[in-house]
Amino acid sequence: MTHSNMRRLSLALSAAFVLAPVLHAQAAKAAGPAPILIRNATVMTVTKGTLQNTDVLLSGGKITNVGKNIAAPAGATIIDGTGKFVMPGIIDPHSHMGLDAINEGSLSVTSMARIRDVINPTNEHIYYALAGGVTTINALHGSANTIGGQNAVLKLKWGRSGAEMLVPDAPPGIKFALGENVTQKNRNAGPQQAGAPPRRYPGTRMGQEEVIRDALMRAKDYKATWDEYKSKSVKDKTLIPPRRDLELEPLVEVLEGKRLVHAHSYLGHEMLMLLQLADEFGFRVQTLQHGLEGYKIADEIAKRGTGLSTFADEWSYKIEAYDAIPYNVAILMRHGVNVTINSDDDGRARRLNIDAAKMIRYGGLTDDEALSVITINGAKQLGIEKHVGSIEVGKDADVGIWNANPLSVYSSIEQTIIDGEVYFDKQKDLAMRDSMAKERAELEKAEANQAPVTRGGRQGGAPGGAAAVPPETH
Amino acid sequence: MPVLLRRVSALAAVAVLAPPLAAQRNIPATYAITNAKLVPVSAPAIAKGTIVIRDGLITAIGANVAVPADARIIDGTGLTVYPGLFDAYGSIGLGGAAPAGGAAAAGRGGRGGGGGAATAADPRGGSGNTFDDPRGVEPWLSAAEEIKIDEDALDGPRSAGITTALAVPGGGVFQGQSALINLGGASPAAMIVRSNVAQHVAFSAGGRGGGGGGGGYPGSLMGVFAVLRQELLDAQRYRDLKAAYAKNPKNMLRPEFDPGLESLLPALAGTQPVVMIANQQREIERALDLAKEFGLKVVIAGGAESYMVASRLKAENVPVLLSINFPRRTAAAAPDAEPETMRVLHERVDYPKAAGKLAAAGVKFAFWSGGNTTWSDYAVNVQRAVDGGLSADQAVKALTWSPAEIFGVSDRLGSLEVGKIANLTVTKGDVGEKGVRVSQLFVDGRPIALHAPAAGAGGGGRGAGAPPAAARGQDPL
Repeated sequence: MTHSNMRRLSLALSAAFVLAPVLHAQAAKAAGPAPILIRNATVMTVTKGTLQNTDVLLSGGKITNVGKNIAAPAGATIIDGTGKFVMPGIIDPHSHMGLDAINEGSLSVTSMARIRDVINPTNEHIYYALAGGVTTINALHGSANTIGGQNAVLKLKWGRSGAEMLVPDAPPGIKFALGENVTQKNRNAGPQQAGAPPRRYPGTRMGQEEVIRDALMRAKDYKATWDEYKSKSVKDKTLIPPRRDLELEPLVEVLEGKRLVHAHSYLGHEMLMLLQLADEFGFRVQTLQHGLEGYKIADEIAKRGTGLSTFADEWSYKIEAYDAIPYNVAILMRHGVNVTINSDDDGRARRLNIDAAKMIRYGGLTDDEALSVITINGAKQLGIEKHVGSIEVGKDADVGIWNANPLSVYSSIEQTIIDGEVYFDKQKDLAMRDSMAKERAELEKAEANQAPVTRGGRQGGAPGGAAAVPPETH
Repeated sequence: MPVLLRRVSALAAVAVLAPPLAAQRNIPATYAITNAKLVPVSAPAIAKGTIVIRDGLITAIGANVAVPADARIIDGTGLTVYPGLFDAYGSIGLGGAAPAGGAAAAGRGGRGGGGGAATAADPRGGSGNTFDDPRGVEPWLSAAEEIKIDEDALDGPRSAGITTALAVPGGGVFQGQSALINLGGASPAAMIVRSNVAQHVAFSAGGRGGGGGGGGYPGSLMGVFAVLRQELLDAQRYRDLKAAYAKNPKNMLRPEFDPGLESLLPALAGTQPVVMIANQQREIERALDLAKEFGLKVVIAGGAESYMVASRLKAENVPVLLSINFPRRTAAAAPDAEPETMRVLHERVDYPKAAGKLAAAGVKFAFWSGGNTTWSDYAVNVQRAVDGGLSADQAVKALTWSPAEIFGVSDRLGSLEVGKIANLTVTKGDVGEKGVRVSQLFVDGRPIALHAPAAGAGGGGRGAGAPPAAARGQDPL
């Protein structure tokens, strides 16, 4: 893409995000989206093979029929799928997209921090990701500290509020992090510099293990206090409940298996440490995030039923990635690990189909296996496989319609549909660009958008008083 | 009506005991402005009438009012008399820099620039080193104890016609309690109209908070919300423990006194409003959600995108302290700059329309400067709101009656009525019109000399505020 084309695209997209909320707000007033019938497409179900010349019916927000010659219900929008490919909406199991904050890095345990409190539904990367066929993301706290904040599983319902994007049935999760992002070795080297932020324990991987063990033991004590209160308060109604502790509450849920641990980790031995620590406390680590050395301990991961979410490449991009190999995904899959590929990056998120295709080149995955690492496997890692991740009757109507096989570099998305509603439509996006350009021209004429006249006019406005709104935090 | 009786007799006692103002300062205590247009706000405007004020209170108003023999008479021909205007949020009277929480600061949710956001070197309200000792939690602070008299600092707002301001402590997450002050008086205590008007919250962490750590907890918006929730949960439990102990102190260890939690009890009970700075739509929604979760009586301050949430604000009866520091382009773009985003272009055009949309939706709102210390902009920005679809009457209301109601003082301020505090803003031209000028100001019944703000305190600008020379020329003294 030429630079000027790119600029035009980004202009249109940035324009679109201003209008989109209005469009969707109007759509929402109607009684649910009209049914959509996609006719005569190549349907990549992921779990039940690829079906040629097949129809898919979406109604009431669900996939209600997959087969040949499906009759169109009244009022249905009919899409000619001839020559097109339909696949499940892509699931990105590791994202920091659309958030006003990513790290609460102040303390080593910040389980009280919640991603759901800081969702920014107006962040344009949500729209860009839709243009890459992504429908669901695992919005994670960053990796600044050993026990980070609570995640949020979101559907990319562009134009809706953060609350409407939350996947209601998704089990809650939490971020753990091991290794050098936590220890910040470079910054912690040498004597404490004057004026530098104070060092934060832990400074080594040993310390990280201790932080987690300490926090979980405190959570155990906290749980015991509450259990005692609950049993005694049956008889004595005058008892006053113990203090609610927002740091320890989520960790009790971890111990009870009700909150899924997604653990940032790269090295084989640090992953093994966490798996064994979880054994000690009797819970399962839901996913190892990144896990570039996962292949070294594939059996240990597989036997615990832990999942792993990694990069398609990124080999040797940092010290912890020096032992990364292209065949990590394939080796893990052959050992029975539920493995996925994630973006961890707003830009990469819209090219996850290509990342999946790389796994055919490196390790010889089948097409379905390659697609599974960006669809159904992610759904399983997030505990939402009943709703999303494949094209099956009864699942949510989250699909992407592609102009070619999505595993090909020549493919691009035509439409992205979530819960039966179209959230990205390439033709509409193209059609909007002229009106956007006109709207921009009108806005630029407005008095408030004129640069001030420096002589004899406005002087010395308030310091920062009329500054533009600061850019979004990414 | 025993309460009212008591109040009346107390007032009578004060009237008897307090030495007359004239005796204190050797200035007349009775004024009559005649032949002026009077805008009582609580009643229809009087095209030509007289208002009499005596010893700090309004004693008569109407088209046919007898002027007392001892009154100093001011010919109000060509002038309009309003109730004293409010600046409904800020740091006037506190001696600090103005908070930056207006539209220009949207997105940061904060008052970062001025009022003293906590830094690593200056931790406020806690060390930030542990979960149980967060920074920025100082709900016990009371602005009423911090008011300073600084005539130079008051010149700016007074030149804009402001007689009354909400002084907010500022800084941190739970910032403390505001005071409503009159911009004049012999002592800080004399300036205070009402103390502990509201508890104040900002969603700004104020420190480095991200990846590297350092700067203390909370260091991010996520941490801020965790702090808010934990603090409110602790206050709820403190309330319950105190209630249980009060009911039956025997066989129970007494709950330990906690000044922070104690100061949050009126907010939890819904008897004290909680003002939260929130500008963007999602910030406002977060504030409303938090208020709902804990049953708080919330007021939104900033409110740049409040019009996008107008129906919910109306349904939940939430008022807005609307910043009129509307964004505008401040410099020409560099030749090689990327084009500005549509969002930025829209904000500059759309934010001044917020007031008109709030009025149409029936949301109660009051104006404040938004941290803009160029006080001559105050009238200009009110006019921008009027250009954006607000009627001039509604603009006057947002500067007088509405803030008085929101702060629970509409029985003594906010309109021209007999018996109310004699705060008057006298203008040449009408509020909301282009070229309106403040010609005289009365605070607690006393004329205020209008001066150009000191150079450092803002100034310059177009002649829409208060040309000081002209004002001084008309100074009744």
